Amino acid sequence: MHLISLALKRERMRFETELADRKTELSEKWADLVLGSYPKETRKIWGRQKDRFQNPVGAAIFDATRELFDLMLEWKDAEKIASGLDKLIRIRSVQDFSPSQAVSFVFLLKKLLREEFFKPMQAGGRLDELLRFEAKVDNLAMMSFDIYAKGRETMYRLRVEEVKRAQSSLLRKAGMIADVTADSSAD
Amino acid sequence: MSDMPKADELFKSIDYTPPLTGWMETPVDFSPGNWCYPAKPEKIEYINSKLPGLWGTPREWSPGDADWKLPPNWKETVVNGFRERLEKFRTLKLFMDICVRCGACADKCHFFIGSGDPKNMPVLRAELMRSVYRGEFTLAGKILSQLTGSRVMEEDVLKEWFIYFYQCTQCRRCSLYCPYGIDTAEVTMMARELMHLVGLNTNWIMEPVSNCNITGNHLGIQPHAFKDIVDFMVDDIEEITGRRVKAPLNEHGHEILFITPSGDVFADPGIYTFMGYLMLFDYLDLDYTMSTYASEGGNFGSFTNNEVMKKLNAKMYHEANRLGCKWILGGECGHMWRVVHQYMDTMNGDTQGPQMATPKSPITGTVFDTAAATKMLHIVEFTADLIKHGKLNLDPSRNDHLRVTFHDSCNPARGMGLLDEPRYVLKAVCNNFFEMPEGTTREQTFCCAGGSGLNTEEILEIRLRGGLPRGNALKYVQDKHGVNTLACICAIDRATLIPLADYWAPGVQVTGTHELVANALVFEEGEERTMDLRQEPLPGFEDEDDNWTPPNAEEA
Repeated sequence: MHLISLALKRERMRFETELADRKTELSEKWADLVLGSYPKETRKIWGRQKDRFQNPVGAAIFDATRELFDLMLEWKDAEKIASGLDKLIRIRSVQDFSPSQAVSFVFLLKKLLREEFFKPMQAGGRLDELLRFEAKVDNLAMMSFDIYAKGRETMYRLRVEEVKRAQSSLLRKAGMIADVTADSSAD
Repeated sequence: MSDMPKADELFKSIDYTPPLTGWMETPVDFSPGNWCYPAKPEKIEYINSKLPGLWGTPREWSPGDADWKLPPNWKETVVNGFRERLEKFRTLKLFMDICVRCGACADKCHFFIGSGDPKNMPVLRAELMRSVYRGEFTLAGKILSQLTGSRVMEEDVLKEWFIYFYQCTQCRRCSLYCPYGIDTAEVTMMARELMHLVGLNTNWIMEPVSNCNITGNHLGIQPHAFKDIVDFMVDDIEEITGRRVKAPLNEHGHEILFITPSGDVFADPGIYTFMGYLMLFDYLDLDYTMSTYASEGGNFGSFTNNEVMKKLNAKMYHEANRLGCKWILGGECGHMWRVVHQYMDTMNGDTQGPQMATPKSPITGTVFDTAAATKMLHIVEFTADLIKHGKLNLDPSRNDHLRVTFHDSCNPARGMGLLDEPRYVLKAVCNNFFEMPEGTTREQTFCCAGGSGLNTEEILEIRLRGGLPRGNALKYVQDKHGVNTLACICAIDRATLIPLADYWAPGVQVTGTHELVANALVFEEGEERTMDLRQEPLPGFEDEDDNWTPPNAEEA
């Protein structure tokens, strides 16, 4: 049993090692696919401008894909993965995307992996390794859904609070805010 | 495994790739969230009764509907209005002609940087109007429409204008980078003027315009209620400091008329900045009054057309004359200063009464020659001068729990070059001050994305993506220096930067500069305060309320 599981583990690590060897190249290709979800004039500018303060979206795309690629190879820290995903989702959920488009960048990694590995791994009889790794991508998709929904809830809260703040003095004037700390309070 | 779907097949069903059509053919999305609510018909009726002929027909309509209920002669009205303005405003003609589409402005707009929508590139946004200019008014454009990128005025074009000229905050960051100095804000202003002619408008702008004209403030609060609200703040100041400050309203015979945005009277956290003004003036025993009629310094008219901008602005001199004031002190506001600095003298300078004079600080004797034309001085210049002359007893340690950065509001920064004075004041009243990265501050500041009448909740997503460049720089100093407070000198900022910070850099609060001044201001030697203007305990006094139980919980 022990030998078999070791062999399995080694097998599993083989694909991860291949990915790790090509991680710079692959994460950049992933970033390019994400950039591809924006209009072509925009792609050009966001791919070119390297100043992260003048081009925060471009910077976030390259940062997040690089970071997430590493974290998926490590597959240890869910918090860090969530914060990596959040970097992009926070941006994409206020851009002009549908919810599915906003989180689609996760599936673009799957697209990339299939384009790069499906045929050679199929030929080598190692498709199971690819599928095993793809389960991690599916996990990322589930987390993304949660993060997206949480972001939307934040926006609803911001809307309500904004309306309250804009009229705060009027509510007080109308006697609609009870100041329970004042000496004259009813209790 | 051979029947696994191929990658491309999987993605055929969902298309994540944007359309490959050119911008002129790319359709515009009119779903809710992409536009501000149109003005209520009664608001348009009212303003039309005061300034007739500029507002189209008052009606119920929605940008989400296919039929916008435009008047039958809308095209003629817009094209004639365009022609009239090209003749009347040399700048517009120039801005239409001289752009060489070099692209220097393309990636400078916060809405483009955040959204990636090419129509938010300033060059392309202006092209929405230029293409019509060429198509309607130039010979080459009329003959070679495709080649010159020209088009005639059609309903789709007008609708596109409505979406995109309300995704410009007139912040003028793009103009800073334009080698020809094209002022894209003025292009937006003209497009909005033309749209108003056929009744395309937004309520968030027109209701305040109407209210400001009637009662003097943007919410339409009547003078007695306005006074009650100011008195509440006087009560609060007494509770915090033990001192009952003066808050003179509509009083004759004072040297100075103080005008600030009415948002500071009604909205949290602007009210703390307003309390800051009252405390500072009381400390100085300043000879001043406020006016309920000229109680909105911010000029919502500047987001509509030059006629109503002029009308609302005229109140300032009118009230200064009526109350017999020599000069005007203006509070922390954004577009108020764009209007005062760049248009007021031309529009209403001839209505300055003979009693008016160049602002001179009664405390330091400084004469502010830069304000000689308008007779109106920015409060940050006034306060910086006081500090420079050692006239304020300040204890900056009262702000020690705050780690502060400063957002240059677009209009004071780019519109009037007010860059160093607010920093000078902040550094005098706070011990922990940190700048956001270069390229995001001073004249290159990123907009809050809520200016020019866009600070409304129905387009929150648009505001948040437009606010991304500012939020990104803010997050950077939050992570690097532990910044927890974003100071500004604009009432729109105080409203719109809160959700922006909450979304992009949660944990950073927003404050006006004079709130921090008043927190640090020592009224009398040895004065001890236990709380700040928000009635939050100061460091060292946190425990006082610990054994207080909410009344509801006692009963439970």
